[in-house]
Amino acid sequence: MIKAYVVFGGLVLAALTWTHYTGWGPSDVTEEKVKSVRDNPGSYRSAYGGRSYTGAK
Amino acid sequence: MTPRIPLGTRGRFGAETYEAIGYLVRKTVGESYTWFEYLLHNPTLGQRWLVEYHGHWVMTRAASGVPETSRGDATYQGVRYRHFLKAKAEVVAVVGEFPWTPRVGERAVVDDFVAPPRMLSREATKQETTWSTGEYVDGSAVWKAFGLAGSPPARIGVGAAQPSPYVAQNRAMFLLAVSFVAAAVLVHLLFAIFSQQRLVADITGEYRPNAPETAAVVSEPFDVRGRTSNVMVEISTNVANSWAYFHLSLVNESTGVAKTFGREVGFYSGRDSDGAWTEGANWDRAYLPSVVSGGYVLVVEPEGPYPVAWRVRLTRDVPRPLWVWLAIVAMLVPPVLFLWRRAAFEARRWSESDHAPVSTDDD
Repeated sequence: MIKAYVVFGGLVLAALTWTHYTGWGPSDVTEEKVKSVRDNPGSYRSAYGGRSYTGAK
Repeated sequence: MTPRIPLGTRGRFGAETYEAIGYLVRKTVGESYTWFEYLLHNPTLGQRWLVEYHGHWVMTRAASGVPETSRGDATYQGVRYRHFLKAKAEVVAVVGEFPWTPRVGERAVVDDFVAPPRMLSREATKQETTWSTGEYVDGSAVWKAFGLAGSPPARIGVGAAQPSPYVAQNRAMFLLAVSFVAAAVLVHLLFAIFSQQRLVADITGEYRPNAPETAAVVSEPFDVRGRTSNVMVEISTNVANSWAYFHLSLVNESTGVAKTFGREVGFYSGRDSDGAWTEGANWDRAYLPSVVSGGYVLVVEPEGPYPVAWRVRLTRDVPRPLWVWLAIVAMLVPPVLFLWRRAAFEARRWSESDHAPVSTDDD
Protein backbone atom coordinates (compact mmCIF):
# COMPACT_ATOMS: atom_id res chain seq x y z
CA MET A 1 0.00 0.00 0.00
CA ILE A 2 2.91 2.33 0.71
CA LYS A 3 4.29 1.99 -2.83
CA ALA A 4 0.86 2.57 -4.32
CA TYR A 5 0.46 5.65 -2.14
CA VAL A 6 3.83 7.00 -3.26
CA VAL A 7 2.78 6.62 -6.90
CA PHE A 8 -0.69 8.06 -6.28
CA GLY A 9 0.61 11.02 -4.28
CA GLY A 10 3.22 11.71 -6.93
CA LEU A 11 0.57 11.73 -9.64
CA VAL A 12 -1.63 14.10 -7.64
CA LEU A 13 1.32 16.43 -7.09
CA ALA A 14 2.14 16.31 -10.79
CA ALA A 15 -1.48 17.06 -11.67
CA LEU A 16 -1.52 19.99 -9.25
CA THR A 17 1.66 21.40 -10.77
CA TRP A 18 0.31 20.94 -14.29
CA THR A 19 -3.03 22.64 -13.55
CA HIS A 20 -1.26 25.55 -11.88
CA TYR A 21 1.22 25.89 -14.73
CA THR A 22 -1.24 25.65 -17.62
CA GLY A 23 -4.18 27.28 -15.90
CA TRP A 24 -6.30 24.32 -16.87
CA GLY A 25 -9.72 23.94 -15.35
CA PRO A 26 -13.24 22.91 -16.21
CA SER A 27 -15.49 25.75 -17.23
CA ASP A 28 -18.63 26.56 -19.12
CA VAL A 29 -16.72 28.65 -21.61
CA THR A 30 -17.86 28.49 -25.21
CA GLU A 31 -15.24 29.16 -27.82
CA GLU A 32 -16.31 30.53 -31.15
CA LYS A 33 -14.81 32.40 -34.02
CA VAL A 34 -16.43 35.83 -34.17
CA LYS A 35 -17.29 37.46 -37.47
CA SER A 36 -15.29 40.31 -38.88
CA VAL A 37 -16.77 43.75 -39.16
CA ARG A 38 -17.36 43.24 -42.89
CA ASP A 39 -19.58 40.27 -42.12
CA ASN A 40 -21.07 41.82 -39.04
CA PRO A 41 -21.65 45.54 -39.47
CA GLY A 42 -22.79 47.27 -36.33
CA SER A 43 -20.74 45.03 -34.09
CA TYR A 44 -20.02 46.08 -30.55
CA ARG A 45 -19.33 49.70 -29.95
CA SER A 46 -17.05 50.57 -27.13
CA ALA A 47 -18.31 52.56 -24.20
CA TYR A 48 -14.81 54.04 -24.10
CA GLY A 49 -14.50 56.57 -26.88
CA GLY A 50 -16.73 54.95 -29.42
CA ARG A 51 -14.22 52.35 -30.56
CA SER A 52 -15.88 49.50 -32.42
CA TYR A 53 -14.76 45.95 -32.10
CA THR A 54 -13.92 44.75 -35.58
CA GLY A 55 -13.21 41.11 -34.96
CA ALA A 56 -10.37 39.23 -36.55
CA LYS A 57 -7.85 41.09 -38.62
CA MET B 1 -8.00 -36.57 17.06
CA THR B 2 -4.73 -36.99 15.23
CA PRO B 3 -2.12 -34.32 15.90
CA ARG B 4 -1.23 -32.34 12.82
CA ILE B 5 2.35 -32.37 14.09
CA PRO B 6 3.19 -36.04 14.64
CA LEU B 7 4.56 -36.68 18.10
CA GLY B 8 8.26 -37.41 18.00
CA THR B 9 8.83 -34.92 15.22
CA ARG B 10 11.58 -32.42 15.77
CA GLY B 11 11.24 -28.82 14.76
CA ARG B 12 13.87 -26.14 14.49
CA PHE B 13 12.96 -22.58 15.43
CA GLY B 14 15.98 -20.42 14.79
CA ALA B 15 18.83 -21.98 16.74
CA GLU B 16 16.50 -23.96 19.00
CA THR B 17 15.31 -27.48 18.31
CA TYR B 18 12.30 -29.00 20.01
CA GLU B 19 10.61 -32.34 19.88
CA ALA B 20 6.84 -32.64 19.95
CA ILE B 21 6.12 -35.02 22.83
CA GLY B 22 2.56 -34.28 23.90
CA TYR B 23 -0.74 -33.23 22.45
CA LEU B 24 -3.80 -31.81 24.19
CA VAL B 25 -7.15 -30.91 22.75
CA ARG B 26 -9.05 -28.43 24.84
CA LYS B 27 -12.34 -26.64 24.48
CA THR B 28 -14.28 -24.06 26.34
CA VAL B 29 -16.91 -25.31 28.70
CA GLY B 30 -20.38 -24.48 27.48
CA GLU B 31 -19.11 -23.18 24.18
CA SER B 32 -17.74 -24.81 21.08
CA TYR B 33 -14.29 -23.22 20.86
CA THR B 34 -11.69 -25.96 20.47
CA TRP B 35 -7.94 -25.50 20.28
CA PHE B 36 -4.90 -27.74 20.14
CA GLU B 37 -1.78 -27.62 22.27
CA TYR B 38 1.51 -29.33 21.46
CA LEU B 39 4.06 -29.82 24.21
CA LEU B 40 7.56 -29.32 22.84
CA HIS B 41 10.66 -30.42 24.65
CA ASN B 42 14.32 -29.55 24.49
CA PRO B 43 16.66 -31.23 27.01
CA THR B 44 18.51 -27.99 27.63
CA LEU B 45 15.91 -25.31 27.10
CA GLY B 46 12.98 -27.09 28.66
CA GLN B 47 9.42 -27.00 27.51
CA ARG B 48 7.42 -24.89 25.14
CA TRP B 49 3.80 -25.03 24.11
CA LEU B 50 2.69 -24.57 20.54
CA VAL B 51 -0.97 -23.64 20.56
CA GLU B 52 -3.17 -23.66 17.47
CA TYR B 53 -6.62 -22.14 17.12
CA HIS B 54 -8.30 -21.59 13.76
CA GLY B 55 -4.97 -21.80 11.94
CA HIS B 56 -3.29 -19.26 14.25
CA TRP B 57 -0.23 -20.48 16.16
CA VAL B 58 1.35 -19.15 19.33
CA MET B 59 4.58 -20.47 20.85
CA THR B 60 4.47 -20.09 24.61
CA ARG B 61 6.70 -20.71 27.57
CA ALA B 62 6.35 -20.28 31.30
CA ALA B 63 6.56 -16.67 32.40
CA SER B 64 9.44 -15.74 34.66
CA GLY B 65 7.70 -13.95 37.44
CA VAL B 66 4.12 -12.95 38.03
CA PRO B 67 2.78 -10.19 35.78
CA GLU B 68 1.03 -7.25 37.39
CA THR B 69 -2.67 -6.95 36.73
CA SER B 70 -4.55 -3.72 36.85
CA ARG B 71 -8.08 -2.91 35.78
CA GLY B 72 -8.31 -6.16 33.89
CA ASP B 73 -5.10 -5.73 31.90
CA ALA B 74 -1.67 -7.14 32.67
CA THR B 75 1.87 -5.80 32.55
CA TYR B 76 4.80 -8.12 32.05
CA GLN B 77 8.42 -7.07 31.58
CA GLY B 78 7.35 -3.52 30.82
CA VAL B 79 4.79 -4.49 28.19
CA ARG B 80 1.13 -3.81 28.78
CA TYR B 81 -1.20 -6.59 27.63
CA ARG B 82 -4.89 -5.98 27.09
CA HIS B 83 -7.30 -8.53 28.43
CA PHE B 84 -8.71 -10.57 25.56
CA LEU B 85 -10.93 -13.26 27.01
CA LYS B 86 -11.72 -15.34 30.01
CA ALA B 87 -12.89 -18.91 29.55
CA LYS B 88 -13.27 -22.13 31.42
CA ALA B 89 -11.20 -24.67 29.49
CA GLU B 90 -11.63 -28.40 29.55
CA VAL B 91 -9.30 -31.12 28.30
CA VAL B 92 -11.08 -33.32 25.74
CA ALA B 93 -8.18 -35.41 24.40
CA VAL B 94 -4.66 -36.30 25.54
CA VAL B 95 -1.86 -37.97 23.61
CA GLY B 96 1.85 -38.31 24.48
CA GLU B 97 4.07 -37.50 27.43
CA PHE B 98 3.62 -34.73 29.97
CA PRO B 99 5.38 -33.65 33.13
CA TRP B 100 2.12 -34.25 34.96
CA THR B 101 -0.82 -36.51 34.26
CA PRO B 102 -3.45 -34.58 32.38
CA ARG B 103 -6.89 -36.11 32.38
CA VAL B 104 -9.82 -35.69 30.08
CA GLY B 105 -12.31 -33.42 31.79
CA GLU B 106 -9.63 -31.53 33.68
CA ARG B 107 -10.67 -27.90 33.91
CA ALA B 108 -8.94 -24.57 34.37
CA VAL B 109 -9.96 -20.94 34.16
CA VAL B 110 -7.96 -19.30 31.39
CA ASP B 111 -7.37 -15.60 30.87
CA ASP B 112 -5.64 -14.41 27.73
CA PHE B 113 -4.01 -11.00 27.39
CA VAL B 114 -2.59 -9.69 24.13
CA ALA B 115 -0.03 -7.21 22.93
CA PRO B 116 0.36 -8.48 19.35
CA PRO B 117 2.42 -10.35 18.42
CA ARG B 118 2.84 -11.28 22.07
CA MET B 119 0.42 -13.02 24.31
CA LEU B 120 0.14 -13.63 28.03
CA SER B 121 -2.01 -16.39 29.50
CA ARG B 122 -3.07 -17.19 33.02
CA GLU B 123 -4.39 -20.60 33.93
CA ALA B 124 -5.96 -21.08 37.32
CA THR B 125 -7.01 -24.33 38.88
CA LYS B 126 -7.97 -25.05 42.43
CA GLN B 127 -4.39 -26.01 43.11
CA GLU B 128 -2.33 -23.36 41.34
CA THR B 129 -2.15 -20.38 39.01
CA THR B 130 0.41 -20.36 36.22
CA TRP B 131 1.39 -17.67 33.77
CA SER B 132 2.82 -18.23 30.31
CA THR B 133 4.04 -15.83 27.72
CA GLY B 134 4.04 -16.43 24.00
CA GLU B 135 4.51 -15.03 20.57
CA TYR B 136 2.55 -15.47 17.37
CA VAL B 137 4.10 -17.84 14.84
CA ASP B 138 3.06 -18.05 11.24
CA GLY B 139 1.62 -21.45 10.30
CA SER B 140 3.98 -21.80 7.36
CA ALA B 141 6.93 -21.25 9.75
CA VAL B 142 5.65 -24.09 11.94
CA TRP B 143 5.35 -26.38 8.92
CA LYS B 144 8.81 -25.43 7.74
CA ALA B 145 10.31 -25.86 11.22
CA PHE B 146 8.95 -29.43 11.53
CA GLY B 147 9.44 -30.25 7.86
CA LEU B 148 5.78 -31.22 7.52
CA ALA B 149 4.24 -32.13 4.20
CA GLY B 150 1.37 -30.13 2.78
CA SER B 151 0.34 -26.80 4.09
CA PRO B 152 -0.77 -25.58 7.51
CA PRO B 153 -4.47 -25.23 8.25
CA ALA B 154 -5.99 -22.12 6.72
CA ARG B 155 -6.33 -19.18 9.03
CA ILE B 156 -9.83 -18.22 10.02
CA GLY B 157 -10.41 -14.65 11.09
CA VAL B 158 -7.73 -12.69 12.90
CA GLY B 159 -5.77 -14.37 15.65
CA ALA B 160 -5.70 -12.88 19.14
CA ALA B 161 -1.94 -12.28 18.91
CA GLN B 162 -1.69 -12.00 15.14
CA PRO B 163 0.43 -8.97 14.28
CA SER B 164 -1.42 -6.35 12.31
CA PRO B 165 0.10 -5.87 8.85
CA TYR B 166 -0.79 -2.21 9.17
CA VAL B 167 1.23 -1.43 12.29
CA ALA B 168 4.55 -1.56 10.45
CA GLN B 169 3.20 0.90 7.86
CA ASN B 170 1.79 3.41 10.33
CA ARG B 171 4.83 5.64 10.45
CA ALA B 172 5.55 5.52 6.73
CA MET B 173 1.93 6.28 5.90
CA PHE B 174 1.83 9.21 8.32
CA LEU B 175 5.12 10.65 7.08
CA LEU B 176 4.06 10.29 3.44
CA ALA B 177 0.72 11.97 4.10
CA VAL B 178 2.40 14.90 5.84
CA SER B 179 5.03 15.14 3.09
CA PHE B 180 2.48 15.09 0.29
CA VAL B 181 0.29 17.73 1.91
CA ALA B 182 3.34 19.90 2.60
CA ALA B 183 4.51 19.44 -1.00
CA ALA B 184 1.08 20.43 -2.33
CA VAL B 185 1.05 23.57 -0.19
CA LEU B 186 4.61 24.33 -1.30
CA VAL B 187 3.71 23.94 -4.98
CA HIS B 188 0.80 26.32 -4.51
CA LEU B 189 2.92 28.83 -2.63
CA LEU B 190 5.62 28.75 -5.32
CA PHE B 191 3.06 29.44 -8.02
CA ALA B 192 1.45 32.10 -5.85
CA ILE B 193 4.86 33.80 -5.54
CA PHE B 194 6.12 33.41 -9.08
CA SER B 195 2.97 33.57 -11.19
CA GLN B 196 2.15 36.86 -12.92
CA GLN B 197 -1.12 37.76 -11.17
CA ARG B 198 -1.14 40.87 -13.35
CA LEU B 199 -4.26 42.99 -13.70
CA VAL B 200 -4.83 43.22 -17.45
CA ALA B 201 -8.27 44.82 -17.66
CA ASP B 202 -10.42 46.82 -15.29
CA ILE B 203 -13.63 48.17 -16.70
CA THR B 204 -16.70 49.64 -15.11
CA GLY B 205 -20.17 50.43 -16.29
CA GLU B 206 -23.66 51.17 -15.27
CA TYR B 207 -26.50 49.17 -16.65
CA ARG B 208 -30.02 50.49 -16.92
CA PRO B 209 -32.89 48.47 -18.26
CA ASN B 210 -34.45 50.02 -21.32
CA ALA B 211 -31.23 51.91 -22.06
CA PRO B 212 -29.68 50.05 -25.02
CA GLU B 213 -26.49 52.09 -24.84
CA THR B 214 -25.73 50.42 -21.48
CA ALA B 215 -26.43 46.87 -22.69
CA ALA B 216 -22.98 46.19 -24.10
CA VAL B 217 -19.56 47.55 -23.26
CA VAL B 218 -16.35 46.75 -25.11
CA SER B 219 -13.08 47.30 -23.30
CA GLU B 220 -10.02 49.00 -24.68
CA PRO B 221 -7.60 46.42 -26.17
CA PHE B 222 -5.24 44.89 -23.68
CA ASP B 223 -2.40 42.43 -23.81
CA VAL B 224 -2.36 39.05 -22.11
CA ARG B 225 1.24 37.96 -21.85
CA GLY B 226 3.30 34.98 -20.86
CA ARG B 227 2.75 31.26 -21.18
CA THR B 228 -0.70 29.83 -21.72
CA SER B 229 -2.41 30.13 -18.37
CA ASN B 230 -5.67 31.19 -16.82
CA VAL B 231 -7.38 34.54 -16.42
CA MET B 232 -9.31 35.32 -13.27
CA VAL B 233 -12.52 37.25 -13.82
CA GLU B 234 -13.88 39.25 -10.89
CA ILE B 235 -17.25 40.91 -11.08
CA SER B 236 -18.43 43.32 -8.44
CA THR B 237 -21.77 45.07 -8.43
CA ASN B 238 -24.07 47.07 -6.20
CA VAL B 239 -27.06 44.76 -6.56
CA ALA B 240 -29.22 44.59 -3.45
CA ASN B 241 -32.24 42.31 -3.21
CA SER B 242 -31.83 41.78 -6.89
CA TRP B 243 -29.74 40.03 -9.47
CA ALA B 244 -27.71 40.84 -12.54
CA TYR B 245 -26.51 38.55 -15.28
CA PHE B 246 -23.37 39.17 -17.29
CA HIS B 247 -22.63 37.79 -20.73
CA LEU B 248 -18.88 38.04 -21.14
CA SER B 249 -16.73 37.48 -24.19
CA LEU B 250 -12.97 37.54 -24.12
CA VAL B 251 -12.03 38.06 -27.74
CA ASN B 252 -8.56 37.38 -29.10
CA GLU B 253 -8.00 40.15 -31.61
CA SER B 254 -5.36 38.18 -33.47
CA THR B 255 -7.30 34.97 -34.01
CA GLY B 256 -10.84 36.22 -33.68
CA VAL B 257 -11.60 33.45 -31.21
CA ALA B 258 -13.93 34.49 -28.43
CA LYS B 259 -14.27 32.74 -25.11
CA THR B 260 -17.88 33.37 -24.18
CA PHE B 261 -19.42 32.67 -20.81
CA GLY B 262 -22.05 33.93 -18.41
CA ARG B 263 -22.02 34.78 -14.72
CA GLU B 264 -24.81 35.75 -12.39
CA VAL B 265 -24.66 37.73 -9.19
CA GLY B 266 -27.54 38.03 -6.78
CA PHE B 267 -27.68 39.39 -3.30
CA TYR B 268 -30.65 39.37 -0.98
CA SER B 269 -31.01 40.40 2.65
CA GLY B 270 -33.74 41.01 5.14
CA ARG B 271 -34.93 40.39 8.64
CA ASP B 272 -37.38 37.88 9.98
CA SER B 273 -38.29 36.27 13.28
CA ASP B 274 -34.84 34.64 13.43
CA GLY B 275 -33.08 37.95 12.91
CA ALA B 276 -31.16 39.38 9.97
CA TRP B 277 -30.38 37.16 7.02
CA THR B 278 -28.48 37.40 3.76
CA GLU B 279 -28.28 35.20 0.74
CA GLY B 280 -25.89 35.25 -2.19
CA ALA B 281 -23.31 37.93 -2.90
CA ASN B 282 -23.05 41.03 -5.02
CA TRP B 283 -19.77 39.83 -6.47
CA ASP B 284 -18.52 36.81 -8.36
CA ARG B 285 -15.26 35.22 -9.38
CA ALA B 286 -14.47 32.81 -12.19
CA TYR B 287 -11.42 31.45 -13.94
CA LEU B 288 -10.98 31.23 -17.68
CA PRO B 289 -8.71 28.26 -18.34
CA SER B 290 -5.83 28.05 -20.77
CA VAL B 291 -5.83 31.53 -22.26
CA VAL B 292 -3.05 31.99 -24.82
CA SER B 293 -1.05 35.21 -24.92
CA GLY B 294 -2.15 37.90 -27.34
CA GLY B 295 -4.17 41.07 -27.73
CA TYR B 296 -7.69 40.92 -26.37
CA VAL B 297 -10.83 42.90 -25.78
CA LEU B 298 -13.52 42.06 -23.29
CA VAL B 299 -17.17 42.45 -24.18
CA VAL B 300 -19.55 42.82 -21.25
CA GLU B 301 -23.29 42.57 -21.74
CA PRO B 302 -25.15 42.95 -18.46
CA GLU B 303 -28.82 42.46 -17.91
CA GLY B 304 -31.14 42.58 -14.95
CA PRO B 305 -34.41 43.93 -13.63
CA TYR B 306 -32.95 47.08 -12.04
CA PRO B 307 -30.12 49.51 -12.71
CA VAL B 308 -26.78 48.20 -11.55
CA ALA B 309 -23.28 49.64 -11.36
CA TRP B 310 -20.67 47.02 -12.14
CA ARG B 311 -16.97 46.48 -12.40
CA VAL B 312 -15.13 43.65 -14.15
CA ARG B 313 -11.46 42.99 -13.55
CA LEU B 314 -9.30 40.46 -15.37
CA THR B 315 -6.13 39.17 -13.74
CA ARG B 316 -3.67 37.03 -15.66
CA ASP B 317 -2.11 33.81 -14.32
CA VAL B 318 -3.65 33.29 -10.89
CA PRO B 319 -3.03 29.94 -9.13
CA ARG B 320 -6.43 28.63 -8.18
CA PRO B 321 -6.69 27.63 -4.47
CA LEU B 322 -9.41 25.10 -5.27
CA TRP B 323 -6.85 22.80 -6.88
CA VAL B 324 -4.61 22.63 -3.85
CA TRP B 325 -7.58 21.84 -1.62
CA LEU B 326 -8.71 19.11 -3.99
CA ALA B 327 -5.16 17.74 -4.15
CA ILE B 328 -4.95 17.64 -0.36
CA VAL B 329 -8.28 15.86 -0.11
CA ALA B 330 -7.16 13.34 -2.75
CA MET B 331 -3.85 12.79 -0.95
CA LEU B 332 -5.63 12.11 2.32
CA VAL B 333 -7.91 9.45 0.84
CA PRO B 334 -5.30 6.63 1.01
CA PRO B 335 -4.37 7.34 4.67
CA VAL B 336 -8.06 7.41 5.60
CA LEU B 337 -8.55 4.13 3.74
CA PHE B 338 -5.49 2.75 5.53
CA LEU B 339 -6.86 3.76 8.94
CA TRP B 340 -10.22 2.25 8.10
CA ARG B 341 -8.65 -1.06 7.08
CA ARG B 342 -6.45 -1.05 10.17
CA ALA B 343 -9.49 -0.48 12.37
CA ALA B 344 -11.40 -3.21 10.52
CA PHE B 345 -8.52 -5.63 11.15
CA GLU B 346 -8.56 -4.85 14.87
CA ALA B 347 -12.34 -5.13 14.96
CA ARG B 348 -12.06 -8.64 13.52
CA ARG B 349 -9.42 -9.52 16.11
CA TRP B 350 -11.51 -8.27 19.01
CA SER B 351 -14.73 -9.77 17.69
CA GLU B 352 -13.42 -13.07 19.12
CA SER B 353 -12.80 -11.56 22.53
CA ASP B 354 -14.84 -10.71 25.58
CA HIS B 355 -14.55 -7.10 24.50
CA ALA B 356 -16.03 -7.34 21.02
CA PRO B 357 -17.12 -4.15 19.34
CA VAL B 358 -20.86 -3.74 19.09
CA SER B 359 -20.71 -4.09 15.33
CA THR B 360 -18.21 -6.46 13.76
CA ASP B 361 -17.02 -6.98 10.23
CA ASP B 362 -17.03 -10.69 9.51
CA ASP B 363 -15.83 -10.80 5.90
